[in-house]
Amino acid sequence: MRRSVASVLGACVVAAACSGCGNDPYPDADVRAKVLYSPFLAAHRTLDPAEAYNVSAHQVTGLVYDTLLEYHYLARPYRLIPGLATSVPKAQPLGDGRVRYRFEIRRGIGYGPDPCFEAGGEGRTTRDAHAEDFAYQLMRLADPALKVQVRDPFSRIEGFTAFAQALAAARGADPGFAARPSREQYAAVGGIRGVRVDGDDVMEVTLSEPYPQILYWFAMEFTTPVPWEAVDRYDGKEGRERFADHPVGTGPYRVTVYDKRSRISLVRNPNWYGITQPEAPGAHYPTEGEPGDAAAGLLDPAYVGRPVPFIDRIEMRLDKESIPVFNKFLQGYYDSAGIIKESFDQVIQNDRLSPEMAARGIGLRKAVSPGLFYLGFNMEDEVVGAAGGERARKLRQAMSLAVDSQRWIDIFLNGRGIPAQSPIPPVISGAPEGYRNPYRQVDLARARRLLAEAGYPDGIDPQTGSPLRLSFDTYEVGSGGALDREFFIGEWRKLGIDVDLQVTTYNEFQAKVERLAYQVFFWGWSADYPDPENFLFLLTCDMRRSGVGGPNTSNFCDPDYDRLFSAMETMESGPERDAIIRKMVAIVERERPWIEIYNGVGYSLVHGWLHNVKPFGMSYPMAKYLDIDAESRAEMREAWNRPVVWPVWVLVGVFAVGIVPGIRTFFRERQ
Amino acid sequence: MLAYVIRRLLYGGAVVLGVLGVLFVLFFQVASPDDIARRALGEKARADAIEQWKVNHGYDRPLWPWQDFDDNLFFHHYATMLSFDFGRSDVDDTPIARRIREGAGPSLSLTMPMFVMSLVVTIVLGLFVAFFRETYIDTAGVFLCVLGMSISILLYIIGGQFLIGKLLRWFPISGFDGDPSVIARFIALPVLIGILSNVGSNVRFYRTVFVEETGREYVRTARAKGAGEMRVMMRHVLRNSLIPILTQVVLAIPFLFTGSLLLESFFGIPGLGSLMIDAINQNDFATMRVMVFVLSLLFIGGQIATDLSYALADPRVRLE
Amino acid sequence: MEAYVFSNLLVAALVVGGVVLARVVRRDRLWSEAMGELWRRRRGSILVVAAFVSIGLLDSVAWKGGSVVGDDLLASHEARTVVDRIFQGAKESSYSAPLASESFYGGEALADPGGHWLGTDLLGRDVLHRALKGVRVALLIGGLTSAIAIPLALLMGVGAGYFGGRFDDFVFFVMSTLASIPSLLLLIALIMALGRGTWQVCLALGITGWVGLCRVTRGETMKLRELDYVQASLALGVSHARIIVRHILPNLMHLVVITLVLLFSQLVLSEAILAYLGIGVSGSWGEMINQARNELSREPIIWWNISAAAAAMFTLLLAVNYVGDALRDVLDPRTLRETT
Repeated sequence: MRRSVASVLGACVVAAACSGCGNDPYPDADVRAKVLYSPFLAAHRTLDPAEAYNVSAHQVTGLVYDTLLEYHYLARPYRLIPGLATSVPKAQPLGDGRVRYRFEIRRGIGYGPDPCFEAGGEGRTTRDAHAEDFAYQLMRLADPALKVQVRDPFSRIEGFTAFAQALAAARGADPGFAARPSREQYAAVGGIRGVRVDGDDVMEVTLSEPYPQILYWFAMEFTTPVPWEAVDRYDGKEGRERFADHPVGTGPYRVTVYDKRSRISLVRNPNWYGITQPEAPGAHYPTEGEPGDAAAGLLDPAYVGRPVPFIDRIEMRLDKESIPVFNKFLQGYYDSAGIIKESFDQVIQNDRLSPEMAARGIGLRKAVSPGLFYLGFNMEDEVVGAAGGERARKLRQAMSLAVDSQRWIDIFLNGRGIPAQSPIPPVISGAPEGYRNPYRQVDLARARRLLAEAGYPDGIDPQTGSPLRLSFDTYEVGSGGALDREFFIGEWRKLGIDVDLQVTTYNEFQAKVERLAYQVFFWGWSADYPDPENFLFLLTCDMRRSGVGGPNTSNFCDPDYDRLFSAMETMESGPERDAIIRKMVAIVERERPWIEIYNGVGYSLVHGWLHNVKPFGMSYPMAKYLDIDAESRAEMREAWNRPVVWPVWVLVGVFAVGIVPGIRTFFRERQ
Repeated sequence: MLAYVIRRLLYGGAVVLGVLGVLFVLFFQVASPDDIARRALGEKARADAIEQWKVNHGYDRPLWPWQDFDDNLFFHHYATMLSFDFGRSDVDDTPIARRIREGAGPSLSLTMPMFVMSLVVTIVLGLFVAFFRETYIDTAGVFLCVLGMSISILLYIIGGQFLIGKLLRWFPISGFDGDPSVIARFIALPVLIGILSNVGSNVRFYRTVFVEETGREYVRTARAKGAGEMRVMMRHVLRNSLIPILTQVVLAIPFLFTGSLLLESFFGIPGLGSLMIDAINQNDFATMRVMVFVLSLLFIGGQIATDLSYALADPRVRLE
Repeated sequence: MEAYVFSNLLVAALVVGGVVLARVVRRDRLWSEAMGELWRRRRGSILVVAAFVSIGLLDSVAWKGGSVVGDDLLASHEARTVVDRIFQGAKESSYSAPLASESFYGGEALADPGGHWLGTDLLGRDVLHRALKGVRVALLIGGLTSAIAIPLALLMGVGAGYFGGRFDDFVFFVMSTLASIPSLLLLIALIMALGRGTWQVCLALGITGWVGLCRVTRGETMKLRELDYVQASLALGVSHARIIVRHILPNLMHLVVITLVLLFSQLVLSEAILAYLGIGVSGSWGEMINQARNELSREPIIWWNISAAAAAMFTLLLAVNYVGDALRDVLDPRTLRETT
């Protein structure tokens, strides 16, 4: 009896230690397949190209939805090339202030196979996209029923807002109208006046005022062609999916598995235009790039000019916690990863890749991101804002002088960032070169003097007799708590100011904003497109959050600044524009609505078997230019992931040694 | 017996109504429909968009019956929940019922093995320690149990992931694939950690129960008649301890749930626990309400089942 | 009245209360025997708990003013406790290992070399200091929640068991309803309703925690009510209030004490989970663990943050659980039932 128990136990232990053991999370069949593996952080709210506006969703929409224009993968500064359009249109001024852009569209742009196209005939799974589909999507952007977050740039299209109002009016007047398919509704209201379709391959877009940056918006998925068949069929009713969960597009890939809480799978789109038109600029690997790209192995003759994409399938897995993601990267189960601060010193030593990493064939890529993070003041607050006058300005300047961005970057980002000096990241052309903001160099003595001049000697508020109390609102608290915010609070303690961190939910913060009940906050902005206007607009009166609800959360409103902004907004780049920008930056320097903290530097790690990676800075669907050496990956994974089994035997041994004497004495005693 | 069953079921129904009432007060007093709308629609939502959203999600009614008897949220809440018409998520409009169906599979694949293996392991260990009562095995065992109870489940998870996933590389650190050929290696680590985290308190309890039973008259009789100790434990003690074991099992189910909530979150398993945590982080009150209601229904069902089984076993219960 | 003044008074009241309680227990023969037995069995654990309680009390006595070391201009205007003043060394800039004289990353000289016994955390704060401050938070969570849960449970339980009838039905229904909602979810919903903050968390924990004790007191009270001397008192016309206070409550005290002790560890562990979800009490060990959660994966590894919090929490809970375990054996009702 005893012997059989022991043998059963032994068998169980061995079985547990071996069977199902091993940490490969992918099916065995895929071991040597050309599949790209990447993680995603959270289930996407929507993949509808009209509504999706975050980097995570763009990982999918960027590959499934193609655009009229694209960015050249390798060229810097960023350059637009034709995608679905045959050329990049030039602005044609119409004399009365309006500007027209004429897009000539390719033929043979096929949608990925989808049952929704049966609307055009039994058994049909696809059709070609034509100009009408582009116009349809532009109308969707205006549709008030959709949660579009970028209406502002498109509202410069003639008749855009009028169309939206007419649509809302028609729906309000007749409930039956709203029940009709969206395409019919748009047609009934007469479409957008500034969007004209001419046959299948021409679309003319007329703006009511000059706006050169509009072309950048045509490189984003907001302007992709959308099939009305998909929008009609995937309405979310009667068990059908929503269009937001079921993308149908003309891109190089299509979605086959969309289990947004665990797995997303993309495969090649057999109807992609690039297959039949590989000479199109967006359909083959670039033939030229920046100086330095050749040396970096990005212009390998094996790839230059060849038709893309090279990878057959893309698998994305939901992985919320950053450490497991990084560890899986190290084990070879993800092909590239960012560096998390916990592992920074394992990976980077003396600003170069550590020998341990290099030995595994891992490569390091750095890119300055065109983004800015800053501390903002609510300029409509009585104590810290414009209402406080000269006094409040000195307070803001003093607080700006006390914050040591470099140290913050060192602690919280392992130095992966540059202390920001102005509202415009230095990597955007047009940013003032070599500019150093005097209020962003730490000077505690000067800060204390300014504070005293502002009427708060040593931080004491004369009205209350105790330290000046300010509130710092944050609603995005990361996994480590709000430690990075507490750093700033620590800096201001050196001035004697008591800043109280208030962690609220998003709703509470919104409510506070409405009541103007906030003073200090931490915010960031990532470029939509590489133009200074995309940052400077955040400080204009029209974009104020309070009242208007725009992204100018500090509610900064200066008439001189606005005047300069209107001047530079539609100007072509050049010395004249740069001069105006410099004046605007000087205003921001003096008034300090923001304390600029950092511009991020993206470090990414890439395994040796993943070729052609060049970090883009902005969100970019680069998967179509990448290639994988699947054999080499399979070998490395196996070598790196052998399970360690000896501790099991040690445990069993310890257990046996500990228990057996007890058992023996017990039975001996009983006898 | 039938009368008892009916009475018990009716009482269960009353408790369900009570639970719905508590949920209503908590969730609708917590966040007004305006807050939820603003959260879902984003920063630049205008007032009319907010109103429209509220209409779409059925939040435009007044809260209480005395405000408008025919059309109010209070009755609407009861009506929809009781008819299992769960509606859509506040955050992204997907039907909640579908999400629950999709999440149930992964959750069960985690909790069922955990539940069964935990039961087996803790009872065996409890018997083992009770068998060797009064020896150093017993003292060490009790100490280890109290030790186990004093460590937070968070530490078990963090430590387990570190030790077993990273250092020893026995199992994937996180992730999930429902495919039957690979599912075992994904749930092995969370199941293992789940069992470890509650082995302490359960073994402690079972040991006490078993030791009490072995002090009883009939056990002494059995021993006097010459039955071996092992036989005594297995045959008599175990069987007669079934009622306290059953009670403990039912009481432990809530902890099973809490554990799975955290395990699913740390290990990236797309089950109901993960759904709940996402709902909490996103302030998705519609999903939270439904999840709490569904889980409460399960608890109530479990309690009714336990009571009925007691009634079957012990006739005195039926007369209460 | 400022918060720290209130807390000082409370500490004074607790100390006085503790002395009074000790005298009451010593006079009662059965209780003092039980306590003696407990001391014999669990001397070590009791001393550990006493040490923690002392630290907690020390951390509750605060006053403003006094000298400040380093750049922090604000500190002299804030109320600092005895524990804070002991750890007055200047803050470092970031991580440093226990007893180190240079910082962990970058090797700069520290402001207080060798002075940080358990190192410093991400923001340069002394880890031992933070761990000790967590004691007060843990005791507060346990104490304040019990102060809410226990009177509530007694009120409802004794009332239901003693008076029976409609009140009993009502209490039983409330208990069943609350017990049917998964307690973690109820906790989360309550905290979202009440807001974040120490007393809100304790109130929420109290609301989810009173049911267990209530069930037991209800059962006990029902049994006690049938005892001879209670029936006799009723027949003699003694008022209900008197019977409850003189006969019922004292016989429930052992349950209360056991519950108090064993509930404590459950509360602290629950709060740790709430800290993971971002809705815990600030300054608690759970918060420390949550913030330090990812540090084990650093290379080289940073272990002192999470270990300090885990060790502190573990030591206190182990000691409390161990004492509670023995307490349950020692306070067995068969030895404590009064016969007056």
